Amino acid sequence: MKTLLPAVAAALVAGLLSTAALAESLVLYTSQPNEDAQATVDAFEAANPGVEVEWVREGTTKIMAKLMAEIEAGNPVADVLLIADTVTMQRLKEAGQLMPYKSPEASAFEASLFDPDGTYYSTKMITTGIIYNTSAAMKPAGWEDLAKPEAKGLVTMPSPLTSGAALIHAQTLAGIGALGWDYYEALAENGATAAGGNGGVLKSVATGEKAYGMVVDFMAIREKAKGAPVEFVFPAEGVSAVTEPVAILRTAKNPDAAKKFVDFLLSEEGQQVAVTMGYIPARNGLALPEGFPAREVVKVLPVDAAAAVKNSDADLKTFSGIFGTN
Amino acid sequence: MAQLILNHLTKDFGAKGPGEGGPAVSDVSLTLRKQGFLALLGPSGCGKTTVLRMIAGFEQPTDGSIEFGECRLSDAVRVLPPEKRNMAMVFQSYALWPHMTVAENVGYPLKVRRISGEAWRSRVAEALSLVRLTAYADRRPSALSGGQRQRVALARCLVQQPDIVLLDEPLANLDQHLRKAMEETFRAFHERSGATMIYVTHDQAEAMALATDVAVMSEGKLLQVAPPADIYARPEGRVVGSLIGRGAIVRLRLPEKAGRQLDWPLLQAALAGRRSGHGHAGEGPLSDVLIRPEQVHPDSGGMPMRVLSSVFEGERSALTLALPDGQSLKAYSNKAFCHGTEVPFVISGGWRL
Amino acid sequence: MRVSDEIARGRRKATHAPAVDTDAEVRSGSRMLERPLRVLAKARCWQWLRLASGGAKDDGSEGERGPARVRLPKELTRALRGFDLPPPPYADEVRVPETRSAKAGPRRRSSYFRFRGKRMSGVGEPAWLLAFVCGAVFLLSVLPLIHLGWAGLKGLEGGEAASVLLEAATFAALRNTLVAAAGGMVISLVVGALFAFVVALTDIRGKLALSFAFMLPMMIPPQVTALAWVEMSGPSSPLLKTLGLAPPLGSPQPLYSLAGIALLLGVQHAPLVFLAIKAGLATHPRDGVEAARLSGASPWRVFRDIVLPLACPALIAGGAIAFISGIGNFGIPAILGIPASIETLPTLIFAKFASFGSSTFGEIAVLSTIIASISAGGLLLQQRALKGRDYRLIGLTGARAAFTLGRLRIAVETLLWGTLALVLVAPLLALVASSLVPAYGVPLTLHTVSLQAYGEVLFRQTVTLTALKNSVFLASAAAVGLLVIALPAGYLLAARRGRVANLLAILIEIPYALPGIVLAVAFILAFAAPLPVIGVSIYGTIWIILAAYLSSFFAVSLKPVMSAFLQMDPSLEEAARLAGAGFLRRMRDVLLPLVAPAAGASVILVFLIAANELTVSALLWSAGTQTLGVAIFNLDDSGSSNLASALSVLVVAVVIGLMATLEVLAKYLPEGVLPWRN
Repeated sequence: MKTLLPAVAAALVAGLLSTAALAESLVLYTSQPNEDAQATVDAFEAANPGVEVEWVREGTTKIMAKLMAEIEAGNPVADVLLIADTVTMQRLKEAGQLMPYKSPEASAFEASLFDPDGTYYSTKMITTGIIYNTSAAMKPAGWEDLAKPEAKGLVTMPSPLTSGAALIHAQTLAGIGALGWDYYEALAENGATAAGGNGGVLKSVATGEKAYGMVVDFMAIREKAKGAPVEFVFPAEGVSAVTEPVAILRTAKNPDAAKKFVDFLLSEEGQQVAVTMGYIPARNGLALPEGFPAREVVKVLPVDAAAAVKNSDADLKTFSGIFGTN
Repeated sequence: MAQLILNHLTKDFGAKGPGEGGPAVSDVSLTLRKQGFLALLGPSGCGKTTVLRMIAGFEQPTDGSIEFGECRLSDAVRVLPPEKRNMAMVFQSYALWPHMTVAENVGYPLKVRRISGEAWRSRVAEALSLVRLTAYADRRPSALSGGQRQRVALARCLVQQPDIVLLDEPLANLDQHLRKAMEETFRAFHERSGATMIYVTHDQAEAMALATDVAVMSEGKLLQVAPPADIYARPEGRVVGSLIGRGAIVRLRLPEKAGRQLDWPLLQAALAGRRSGHGHAGEGPLSDVLIRPEQVHPDSGGMPMRVLSSVFEGERSALTLALPDGQSLKAYSNKAFCHGTEVPFVISGGWRL
Repeated sequence: MRVSDEIARGRRKATHAPAVDTDAEVRSGSRMLERPLRVLAKARCWQWLRLASGGAKDDGSEGERGPARVRLPKELTRALRGFDLPPPPYADEVRVPETRSAKAGPRRRSSYFRFRGKRMSGVGEPAWLLAFVCGAVFLLSVLPLIHLGWAGLKGLEGGEAASVLLEAATFAALRNTLVAAAGGMVISLVVGALFAFVVALTDIRGKLALSFAFMLPMMIPPQVTALAWVEMSGPSSPLLKTLGLAPPLGSPQPLYSLAGIALLLGVQHAPLVFLAIKAGLATHPRDGVEAARLSGASPWRVFRDIVLPLACPALIAGGAIAFISGIGNFGIPAILGIPASIETLPTLIFAKFASFGSSTFGEIAVLSTIIASISAGGLLLQQRALKGRDYRLIGLTGARAAFTLGRLRIAVETLLWGTLALVLVAPLLALVASSLVPAYGVPLTLHTVSLQAYGEVLFRQTVTLTALKNSVFLASAAAVGLLVIALPAGYLLAARRGRVANLLAILIEIPYALPGIVLAVAFILAFAAPLPVIGVSIYGTIWIILAAYLSSFFAVSLKPVMSAFLQMDPSLEEAARLAGAGFLRRMRDVLLPLVAPAAGASVILVFLIAANELTVSALLWSAGTQTLGVAIFNLDDSGSSNLASALSVLVVAVVIGLMATLEVLAKYLPEGVLPWRN
């Protein structure tokens, strides 16, 4: 006991000292999967030595809740946000929480992919398609196939209450005349479940718990490359897309480092990192990653951002009503 | 050396268990003989340990006071903490600290008084040699036998040179023969240290062997304080009579004029119910009479009594006798008697309680 | 012949004096009774009378023996009828073992520790002690609870938070919570009691290994347990896939159900029941069982008639602990319930907090109050059943084996080890398997084995290293910090009995009994705003997690220390006082060295529990302050299950390593420090 106490005390002091900040630091809140967030941060730190990034990862809805809680408590910690969809970003902008910044890299992007005031910039193109287990009997080609009797009880999808992409997807499909909310109700009657995030859906289908799922493209294609028994389909009716925008918070404590981060993500180097991770880059002139069909094959359905913002709450309630999800 | 005075000492612990009412200590007043050896005697639960703890300062009296010379040690309002009284205590469980060696245990009072180095060593060595434990100075208490631990506790008291030494049933956990040896040690200790000793016990033989005064307590009250010989020969009241020594208490009708010390003629008359020359024996109020076994002898001129039992004790036999009216007596005899025989016995004396 | 004569005489005499102390060292103030009693003492076959008179252990250690009334033989009573004899002297039996042999061992120290009744000294501790302890209790327990209650009340007033009480989701969550906790309690009782009775009472082999292994579910974080079981069962199990036993495509995962939650809660909390029952059995003397067998009862009857009723309080205590822990458990329902949309009250609070809105604080305060009330109800029931005795986390000397099993032994051993294999080994193997596959759904073969997940977790993901650093810091700081508070508190509560001490003890107990979620909410409410004097908010920093840990684990830290103080012979301190030592002096010289082993135990226990904690930190963490528990949970929640598995395997390995180290050091630690030892 006599030597233990001083030793522990010394360890504590050392621990405390080591948590002192060194050089510049940056706090990132993101909804990317953990490995991708780590890779992004690693690449940024390699390109910008002297900046240390601390990042927090949770599903878009949850990370937004965390942010709001901190803002309400008067102690917001985040500097930059990198989340799934522009609709959420639009809402933040309208609430006055974002800092405008005109990045020099913006010229290489199509105008629709970033906010004219420079409050947020899209970094990728992430579509949501159909993933299915290779041992499944029926091979789906379009969204309607998921409502067939062969797929009864075997379909899963992410919940919009967790995943921003899932919300956009639901809103997009609901906007297609041939599908609409009736399609979702048919799915629910057919025993489809909606819970958690994209990672959970991927795991569910890959491990055989479910046979079919709606999931983001890069996840499915990546796992297939690693040997998982899955296939990914871009359905005939078209796919929804989210663009994973990045933004700087108005209350950022490290605005300079934040700006460097935004520039990096939009630069060719940063976009190439995204390609390596298996994402479709948002920047013009870069090839698609391996495993993807040509850009023309992918039919991206448009979404009205302003309308989406207005209808978010109502759409969430409708979805919850159909699937009884959390 | 100042005198310790207990003044109407009372201690009430408040709500107690079922069947136990009243205060633990009730109106105890006692003046201790200077440099005396007082034995507090009584059955368990009589309050003697509580009195001891109040003297030590671990309990605060509800009423009354304790004074030592000019200084008031405790009363219902304030208590001088035990650390500041120059008292020492020998506990029933010895209270030796297991993580210290014997020498460290003995020398702790000195350490607290900031005596160290050579002075510390020499005083500890002296105390240990007095209890003949010098060879054990570096052992742990767990390596010692009960008697040895007791002596270490004594040595710790010696070293402190206290005014008052309190002993709380210190021999209760020892074997029979060890107790005799320790009693010798206590006597020697008392002579050497010149401290006032207060010895709590429920063993009356021990109390009488060691003490200069015996105080008998029962149910919180102090019944009698007297030197051992006095209390043995002339106990006051039934409780004291049954606690001290051995004997039988019988109820007899005695004339009111008869004194407290009774002789055989009176007793014979009372037992037989005959008239005698001393007035109306056989009439009169019922009194408790204490008859000790050594006062009952087999004698052909005595009153026949039936032997109820005869237990061989080695140096003699202890007999239980039945009196004509059904009460029983204890007696000693060199001979063994058979159960049921009628033998004449003489009672040489009795004491009216 | 002589011996049987003596025994015969003893028997005859015994019919006159049934409840007589047989110890040879009886002393009575009245010599009248000495002789017959000595004879009786020689008749060893009446040992059970010692039990009747107060319960003695004959393995040399001290037990509590009340005074035994010595009754006079009938003849004497008759002769003295009508006379008022004083109550006969009591025979005192306190006996210190005479250790003449050179046998060393922690048993010796027990001679200085005996159970005690009232500790009488009220004049001894300095005034600042009470103020210090009260201050600490106020800051750690009272303040957050007041904030919680206040926010709840405001929420109820406000109306919109009150509506949460009427939502269907709340009722469903409440029902699920109660059902799962009750089911878990039953399973814990069955499994825990089975193990406890067999280990404590029979002569099976490998008891130490069995106890050690059985402790593991308690030390492993609940979310890891859940992960492991999920990996083990269902169509997605790498273990089953590799063995070729996986159910067909599309079968539901059986654990994603209320039954699954109950099952895992039962497995997680079975060690708590095990400890409670073992501790309860330890206080019963072996003599009781032996006496019953001498009376002719078969082992089964002895168990049914003697052991089981005596163990009833322990069973109740264990059941209550399991139930209350089940109510507050977050990790298991989080991992098993969310995929199946089954909410319990803790996960409902978590979900509400995650979907932050304007009425969130009020709503979660109201829900927390519901959980707190259920827990309080459970605690009260437990208190009533036990009358204040505590069995948690303190393992004392167990009753030695009293039943020999003979031919049944192999069967029982197989049963126990088989249960362990199913409940512990298989899930852990599944966990390891799932951390070694390169991608989901790939069966584990020699070709597909990949350490990529470990590489990612250990070297690339900064989160895990941060989490490890944070957890170690928090656990150490909590363990040491609590010791500083628990030592004075333990002394105070052991020295002072009465209403103040009881109140303090309850206040300290409440945060531990409260589910972690509720406590986290209370701390958020109490510390969201900047602190009054310093003007800095600790919300979102690691300090709020530390504060919550200090509050939550205070009771854990206090129990061993307070128990050591309670068991300490009071004369040790009194002797020091008479020697002249003031309070600080005698704390330093006498008290602290004697309770040092208990203090060590308290540090170790708090460290082990805090390092794996999830529930409290799940709500309080922020950038850079993730703990290990949160890291594992987030990894799984975000879909990186293999990373979660890898991290979990590492955590389990460290836990086992720590426990093994403690086991190796066991001979330097006294009894009762390590829960799995007898």
